[in-house]
Amino acid sequence: MLLMLTAVAWVALARPVSAADFSPRTNLVQAILSEDLAEQTQLIQNLIGAEDPMVQQALTAWRGGSVYIFETNDTKVPFLLDGTIDANSNAKGIRIIDGEPLKDADGRPLLFVTTDLTPADASSKVRKLIKVALDLFALGNANPKMRRDAITKLGQEQNADYLPHFEARTKIETDKEVIQSLVEAVALTQVASEDAKVRVAAIQKLGEMRSINSVSFLKQIETDARKTPDKFGPETIQAAHAAVLAIDSYMAWGNLFGTAFRGLSLSAVLLVAALGLAITFGLMGVINMAHGEVMMVGAYTAYVTQNIFKGWFGASGGGFDSYFIAALVASFIVAGLVGLVLERGVIRFLYKRPLESLLATWGVSLLLQQLFRHIFGAANVQVSSPSWMSGSYVINDVLLAYNRVFVIGFAVFIVVGTYLLLTRTSLGLQIRAVMQNRAMASCVGVRTDRVNMMTFAYGSGLAGMAGACLSQIGNVGPGLGQNYIIDCFMVVVLGGVGNVFGTVSASLGVGMTDQILQPWLGAVMGKITVLGAIILFLQWRPAGLFVTRSRSLES
Amino acid sequence: MTSHKQFILSLEGVSKSFDGFKAINDLNFYMDEGELRVIIGPNGAGKSTMLDIITGRTRPDKGKVEFGANTDLTELNEYEINRLGIGRKFQTPSVYIDHTVFENILLSLQGSRSVWSTIFSRVTASQRERIHEVLKTIGLTDRATWKAGALSHGQKQWLEIGMLLAQNPKLLLVDEPAAGMTDEETAKTGELLMSLAGKHSIIVIEHDMVFVRQIARTVSVLHQGSLLCEGTVDQVQSDERVIEVYLGRKKKAQ
Amino acid sequence: MTSFLPKREALLVVIAAFLGLVVLPCLNAYVPPDSAFHVSNFTLTLYGKYLCYSVLAIGVNLLWGYTGLLSLGQALFFSLGGYALGMYLMLMIGKLGQYKADIPDFMVFLEFPARFPATAGLPPHWIPFKSFWFAAAMVIIVPAVVAYIFGWLAFRSRIKGVYFSILSQALTYAATLMFFRNDFTFGGNNGLTDFKFILGHEVNSPVTKRWLYIASGVLLLSVYLGLRWLTSTKFGMIQRAIRDSENRVLFSGYATANFKLFVFVLSAIICGLGGALFVPQVGIINPSEMGPDKSLEAVVWCAVGGRGNLLGPILGAIGINSLKSYATHAFAEQWPYILGALFVFVTLFMPKGIIGLPEQFRELRKKLFGKPAAETGPVAQPVSPKIP
Repeated sequence: MLLMLTAVAWVALARPVSAADFSPRTNLVQAILSEDLAEQTQLIQNLIGAEDPMVQQALTAWRGGSVYIFETNDTKVPFLLDGTIDANSNAKGIRIIDGEPLKDADGRPLLFVTTDLTPADASSKVRKLIKVALDLFALGNANPKMRRDAITKLGQEQNADYLPHFEARTKIETDKEVIQSLVEAVALTQVASEDAKVRVAAIQKLGEMRSINSVSFLKQIETDARKTPDKFGPETIQAAHAAVLAIDSYMAWGNLFGTAFRGLSLSAVLLVAALGLAITFGLMGVINMAHGEVMMVGAYTAYVTQNIFKGWFGASGGGFDSYFIAALVASFIVAGLVGLVLERGVIRFLYKRPLESLLATWGVSLLLQQLFRHIFGAANVQVSSPSWMSGSYVINDVLLAYNRVFVIGFAVFIVVGTYLLLTRTSLGLQIRAVMQNRAMASCVGVRTDRVNMMTFAYGSGLAGMAGACLSQIGNVGPGLGQNYIIDCFMVVVLGGVGNVFGTVSASLGVGMTDQILQPWLGAVMGKITVLGAIILFLQWRPAGLFVTRSRSLES
Repeated sequence: MTSHKQFILSLEGVSKSFDGFKAINDLNFYMDEGELRVIIGPNGAGKSTMLDIITGRTRPDKGKVEFGANTDLTELNEYEINRLGIGRKFQTPSVYIDHTVFENILLSLQGSRSVWSTIFSRVTASQRERIHEVLKTIGLTDRATWKAGALSHGQKQWLEIGMLLAQNPKLLLVDEPAAGMTDEETAKTGELLMSLAGKHSIIVIEHDMVFVRQIARTVSVLHQGSLLCEGTVDQVQSDERVIEVYLGRKKKAQ
Repeated sequence: MTSFLPKREALLVVIAAFLGLVVLPCLNAYVPPDSAFHVSNFTLTLYGKYLCYSVLAIGVNLLWGYTGLLSLGQALFFSLGGYALGMYLMLMIGKLGQYKADIPDFMVFLEFPARFPATAGLPPHWIPFKSFWFAAAMVIIVPAVVAYIFGWLAFRSRIKGVYFSILSQALTYAATLMFFRNDFTFGGNNGLTDFKFILGHEVNSPVTKRWLYIASGVLLLSVYLGLRWLTSTKFGMIQRAIRDSENRVLFSGYATANFKLFVFVLSAIICGLGGALFVPQVGIINPSEMGPDKSLEAVVWCAVGGRGNLLGPILGAIGINSLKSYATHAFAEQWPYILGALFVFVTLFMPKGIIGLPEQFRELRKKLFGKPAAETGPVAQPVSPKIP
């Protein structure tokens, strides 16, 4: 039996090993077969950073005692057992060198029973070496981000054994961020050093780096050092304290920056939504309670556009990714049309009767909500972000999500556009004329009816685009409008009517305050506080931030 | 009556600007008790803003506004100023359209203005008498049961003046009473105002020069928020500066 | 009868009160169930609910129709009144709850004993609500105080018109969010429910329900007569004057803010009372009852019935809620369409509501076939007893 096996294996071994497989695996095979600890140590260390899953698997197996050696007269072939075991507890043998099964002369895979086999030797020293190698394996991960994460984790273990490997890797690493995290990991590991000089230098290094990952370690060492100053020495206390302070303040700024960013993006959505509301209220003296539902129409338009593009281009790729641009345009048009119908059908009978317009448009909002519930169902629908809008920039440890960055930029675009529309176009001139004196404008030949219609459609179109933007950062459902309408109204109340600058400031005020308060008070109490603040603010400035003074007494 | 030096109303160094626009600019204005004063001036001269400041609708940026001996009006709000005896008629007639003419006057009668007193008050015989007296003065006796909304434009103007009279104010501020009236109505309004002068001090803002000529003894001309000149109608009309302001003949640089 | 009620109206009120307060309860109590004239317990309670809604509608109308203040916060005051009595009712459950505990079920469920160990789990502010009279006082005081604070701030800074509506809506919204929170100690989104006793009587027994119905009727009648009187006084005139020309009132020496504040607080109290009687009849109060949408519904009852008079809101409240009860059984999906369309239709085509329809028809007829000469004549004033 053994003889036969030997013969077959010989045949199998005779096949040449391809060059690509050569270095790490050969290295490993040598290590397994070596009898000399020093040589083994060297060989195993060579394996660190090898980008080969087979090596990793084999190392793990070796450490766990499940690498076996297939011996013939003069060759020894280390192998693993295949994971699948047949009914007779037999498993195939997999050669480490090339991952191929061991075969007999007929080319049939050889089968082994675990109990018959003797594992390859692994002394405790070797096992420890293997563990380090395995831990450090991720150093060689092809993905820089994975590499970075792994290094950060390794650094936090503060294992001095890793130090030489970090340094080795630093020499060959090309990715700047990975080098950064290597330096951080080295310093963090050195923080645990017994040598006070090394320790202090490392602490100072981390402080300089504003290393958020190590702040808890630094705090710990500061506490420890204060407890037993004899052991650590005053320099350590000082350095740790300074480093913690530096990092804490850096984090505070980072948090502030992050909060500001989220506040900015919420403000941006509010702004685009409230701008339309403020213009129509200023122009026509009507309050559109269905404005939120117009936003909803925009969001669902984005959803439908997405589905259409999915049908054409599949669920990913450049074709699909361009859907959002089309969705913005479509939502502007669809929502604008809804606004047009609303204006012609309801609003135009209610000019300068804000209370009545409030009621009628509330009715419209009920109708629209129920209509969309009928068509699309009561549950939220999924609108996926195009690939260029998912992901985020990282600037100084602050995440800036692309979709939010886009929304902010878009809001700026809309505000500038609206401002130019109002100040540079003839429609804008007419809008402003009607806003100031409807009767006079009509006397000098402005078709006020048409101006109303266009303005309302434009305002609704803006709301529609706001809805499309919302589909990227929030849920899309029939209740979407209701979640934002009160905030929008608050912006209008706060900013005054018919004043672009007022609306901008007010939406910034509401959005920012909301986001600043949320971490402290929670979402609900934050909202309530904002509402309370607005009511109190109006005590001081009853007509909002920016008042366009009206000369007529009965205004 | 009182000494002639005692002004019923004085504005000293009053300024008010809106968004950088100086609506009132260092205005000085004095008025004797019982006087009927007409204020004219081109659009934007600050006439209505001046009334706003006197009645507490707008606070001046600086300056003194005194009523009678030493009542500072700048610290008071509209209804407190009204209770001192300053009544204001708005440019567009402002009456309670859903109430009868009688009720309109009733609500304006002198008396307590607190919430509780209005709940429990009853109309007394003397009040009724006073209302009819006012209705007679403004010539609306036979319209007492009409809803004010059903009155003509001129009648609404008279009703509003009647509402002021019912309060028996010391000072009446009347903003363009003749606007939108027929010639006949305008003449009647003029007579009405003249009959009230003496008993009350009256400030009238007006554009209609025929009307001004009819009622005015002293005319003050406002221009760019300050007093340009003061005098009789003839004096004012022949004043070079006034002509320049109104007709825009710019002979000399200012 | 009193001088503020014209004879015809007084007769109508007496007849309606007799039918509603005497005949209907008798038909429920003394006519056997198999008779065609029998009024079932269910129906009677349903009517009781409508009567409470009518009180709410009158509260809305007192502000909107008479003073020109469209408040979107009246459902909040209604609910505050409801919660105040609901707290008493919760404490009367005793050990009959599912957890057989001394404190209401939701407090056990939310682990209040750990939060309020000193009082065995009952939040301190709940304790006085064991007294019915304390709760009854709170039914009035809580809405009044909330309305006073909000009204004082709003009217002081001269917030009016649609701004007032929007801010009152925001107030309601904020309150709703607050009541939805479990740690606000009012039962979170489940609210207060499973009541057992009121003043020692079983809440769900037909006799108690009948008396609750009668109490609602008496409340509605008193509110109607009280406001009928109030609106006929000089105060009432000023109210309407503020609606039509607030500046004129202000420049006539009236501190309009005080008048508006008075009306606002009064309306809040009326709504709170309505809510307090509503809760034991329907057996539950939760935050969804107080939201801005509920306030808007109450506004539409007024709009449909006709605002600016006292009968319209009652008509609207009873009419629309009957329709709603029917519609939500027969075609629930379509109800929002109907309600929405009603909002639009009424504001566009029936500005004076059902009450104003005859007048609208008269005007229409006049426009189509009328003699223009008649239009300039004085408007007849049958209800003007003060004119000599």
